[in-house]
Amino acid sequence: MIKIQQLEKLYRTEEIETLVLNKISFEVKEGEFVAVMGPSGCGKSTLLNIIGLLDDCDGGSFFFNNIDVSKYNERKRSALRKKNIGFVFQSFNLIDELTVYENVELPLIYTKVKASERKERVEEVLQQMQIMHRRNHFPQQLSGGQQQRVAVARAVVNKPKLILADEPTGNLDSNNGNEVMQLLTELNQAGTTVIMVTHSEHDAHFSHKIIRMLDGQIVTENILL
Amino acid sequence: MFKNYLKIAFRNLWKTKGYSLLNIVGLSIGMASAILIFLWIQNELSIERFHEKGNRIFVMYNKDKSTSGEIWAWNSTPQVMGPTLKTDYPEVEDMSRFTNSTFLVKLGDKKINGQAAFVDSGFLKIFSFPLMQGNKEIALNNTYDIVLTEKFAKSMFGNEDPMGKSLILDSVHNFIVTGVLKDLPNNTIFRFDYLLPFSYQKVIGNMSESWTNNSLRTYVLLKDPSLHSTFDSKVRTITIDHTKESANPSTIEVFSHPLEKLYLYGKNDNGKLVAGNLVMVRLFSVIGAFILLIACINFMNLSTARSEKRAKEVGIRKVVGVTKTSLVLQFLGESILLSIISFILALLLVTIVLSGFNTLVGKELFIPFKTINFWLYSIAFILLTGLIAGSYPSFYLSSFNPVKVLKGTYKKVKAPFTPRKVLVTIQFTFAIILITSTIIISKQIRFGLEREAGYDRKDLVYIFNEGDVKKHFSAIKNDLISRGAILSATMNQSPITQRWSDSWGFKWSGSTKEDEKELFLRLGTDADFVKTMGLELIQGRDIDVYQYPSDSSALILNESAVKAMRLEDPIGQKVGFVGGDAQMTIVGVIKDFIIESPFQEKITPMMIAGPIYYWPNVAHFKLNPANNNIENLKILKEVLAKYNPEYPANYVFADENYATKFKGIERTGKLVVLFAGLTIFISCLGLFGLATYMAENRVKEIGIRKVLGASVFEVTSLLSREFLTLVLISFVIATPIAWYIMHQWLADYSYKISIEWWIFALVALIAILITLFTVSFQSIKAAIANPVKSLRDE
Repeated sequence: MIKIQQLEKLYRTEEIETLVLNKISFEVKEGEFVAVMGPSGCGKSTLLNIIGLLDDCDGGSFFFNNIDVSKYNERKRSALRKKNIGFVFQSFNLIDELTVYENVELPLIYTKVKASERKERVEEVLQQMQIMHRRNHFPQQLSGGQQQRVAVARAVVNKPKLILADEPTGNLDSNNGNEVMQLLTELNQAGTTVIMVTHSEHDAHFSHKIIRMLDGQIVTENILL
Repeated sequence: MFKNYLKIAFRNLWKTKGYSLLNIVGLSIGMASAILIFLWIQNELSIERFHEKGNRIFVMYNKDKSTSGEIWAWNSTPQVMGPTLKTDYPEVEDMSRFTNSTFLVKLGDKKINGQAAFVDSGFLKIFSFPLMQGNKEIALNNTYDIVLTEKFAKSMFGNEDPMGKSLILDSVHNFIVTGVLKDLPNNTIFRFDYLLPFSYQKVIGNMSESWTNNSLRTYVLLKDPSLHSTFDSKVRTITIDHTKESANPSTIEVFSHPLEKLYLYGKNDNGKLVAGNLVMVRLFSVIGAFILLIACINFMNLSTARSEKRAKEVGIRKVVGVTKTSLVLQFLGESILLSIISFILALLLVTIVLSGFNTLVGKELFIPFKTINFWLYSIAFILLTGLIAGSYPSFYLSSFNPVKVLKGTYKKVKAPFTPRKVLVTIQFTFAIILITSTIIISKQIRFGLEREAGYDRKDLVYIFNEGDVKKHFSAIKNDLISRGAILSATMNQSPITQRWSDSWGFKWSGSTKEDEKELFLRLGTDADFVKTMGLELIQGRDIDVYQYPSDSSALILNESAVKAMRLEDPIGQKVGFVGGDAQMTIVGVIKDFIIESPFQEKITPMMIAGPIYYWPNVAHFKLNPANNNIENLKILKEVLAKYNPEYPANYVFADENYATKFKGIERTGKLVVLFAGLTIFISCLGLFGLATYMAENRVKEIGIRKVLGASVFEVTSLLSREFLTLVLISFVIATPIAWYIMHQWLADYSYKISIEWWIFALVALIAILITLFTVSFQSIKAAIANPVKSLRDE
């Protein structure tokens, strides 16, 4: 599903140029659950942003479903992204002014799903995440775990092929963290590819493969069974 | 403590330079507008209020019913009224008549056309126009005394002492300078370069004993202001009493009106004098107050929008024990500091634009830097502005709960009607009212400009028949025609663009008693009137006394006159005067043309009479379009200099003079455009600032939406939508208000546009475009930003 070859990313400031990703190559197959680990600043979030088509790369190639998307412009990337990729963030990134229901509905609006179908799909996914009873609450009225469940619901409501999770349990206690990991595992078992950045060995062991990074390079790739 | 506040205030201003600049620019422009309007209002309100005996001075008014049944009140009075009032009415201490005229004033080789005012000797004693030289008790006692204004004395005599020197008027009479007046202040409606004793009217044959010839203003000084009502009840029938024995008894009633109210309450409303100019004063007070308010609203909105950034400071101050009151004072102090800076800039701005503004409003306003009052008002103005601008933000900011703020759980509320939205709505409501007014006023101006005047103003000039013009008119005309400078010329009672004379009391075959009250506008010609003016003759022929000597009593009517007189076959019919035997013979009928206001729907019936029945005050010339006008006018000057060497040739273009009919309405139009522009500008500054904060505050939300697939367009419209909603609400509120105001304004014109729906549609479109233009910059900037940056957690 994802094939990355010799990927490079530079960050330039006035004085220095930092190579954040240094000729990285790896592959993720459809249906895989991959964890990316490494110390802060090693480039794992940057990698996730590039895979999520939020950021562009400075060298190398990036194939998404066998199409080279590394040269795509903003509009094409956005179109590809909203149909295929769902995001889960450490800090949930819910919109405070919108209710739980409206937050989850948002991706469907941007992919121009009809209103009647939207209702059906939002309710379905809220049931699945067990937060249906909170549908009319605002994010601040929920606990952290509940907020992350809403974020996951939002990430999957569009039935994406790929879910990118950036430290999804980083702001949660262990109980809530486990619940979220359970959710991701269930989604993966249902066929969704998951790529997750994490600091937690515990969380990483929910995956099939752990990629360890250091200073913009992949150090090891462990396949777990 | 105070030092600490001041330090923080300055640092805050400096730290947020961009917003301080928006605030200061907005506030200075708002304050400058308010100062200009205030200077104007103060001048308007002080007109004729500076006379020491002001509360005892009254202006005499006539009042009568017109044929339409409406009661008219006007202040042209008969010459004989003044002296009669002084001798027959014990309430009257003194009186003076007042009428303007122009004479050529000569001193050696120096000749200046100066504006004279004929007054009685009481003038200088009644009014407070102080003499710099001379004695007001005796200065105008003799027929050949002349009192000059300081400016006119300077232009005649330079630095020489003018007292006792002689000047020649109209190349005929020698006058002795008996006084020099201080120049007229900028708040008087009196206009003159020099004063002449009324008795000189007799010398030049302008004396009239008639009680029905209303030609000048009469001012009286009562012995005591409390005598006003007694005097009024006694004077009511003065004209009726003096004319009841005559062949043509008058029905005019007389009353007096306080001088101090003459300017502001001078509009006739069915015989009563009501607020006229005061309406404009009120209107512009409202506009001035609103512009200032709008600038203050900017400050309020920007301060509260920025509040989250200052929440922490408030929290810490509260934790260390500062009370809410002292926080309120601190924030008020900051807004007053801003107000002081803005005021200084505003004064600078006013100084720069004042002369332009003076041209616009036709006044000589100045900033009275040297008076204590000005500085007192300024301090009050600064404090008021600072308090208005700072009140809401200071209470809002100081009410933060320190625990919530410092823990970072403080969140703004989401409500459909936040004060900020209400304030923006107020701004835009006002801006939309002004935009609507601008469009309607300019449309009305164009409507009048495009109206066919009914004659050809192009290449038409007129001169005033000074000196020997009248005597040599035929020679002047023939010379000009033979030299190819003009096509035709005619000698008339008044310029084609001005209404000088009207009268009633005519009779004709079939006329009734009621018809005697029909008012006719009166003009006159010797010959070639129709040809020179380019009028359209419907029946008969032009007057021409040179070809038909009997035309000296001929008459041309306009269509409206024929209609009013119900004449079926007007040519050859006679028109006579009630109480007299003389008769005029109708020789022609012309199509109606506009001589009065182009905004007056109805054309007054008009009589253009032969030479017996008018005084030839002016001459019109139709310049030869085959030559250029510079050449034509050069020849005109040469010919006039030849036949009338004593007088400079001053000609007036008819179309330029016609254009002055639009001066008043154009002035209103320009002022409204000016203030509409300023309002929009200030509002947009605020909107820009708000949009910036809004985009900053929503940067995370925008990031999330983009990650979820929102396009740049979707994000931009999301951010703009909120403002557009407010603008649409403002539009809904403003439309009926604007309609009502403009409906009232148009009521003063009988020839007027109707207010059509598309004007409002256009205004809505303009308002939307302005809003989009202002907020889109920030919205697009926010929309194209990379979401990765805003969502980064570390």
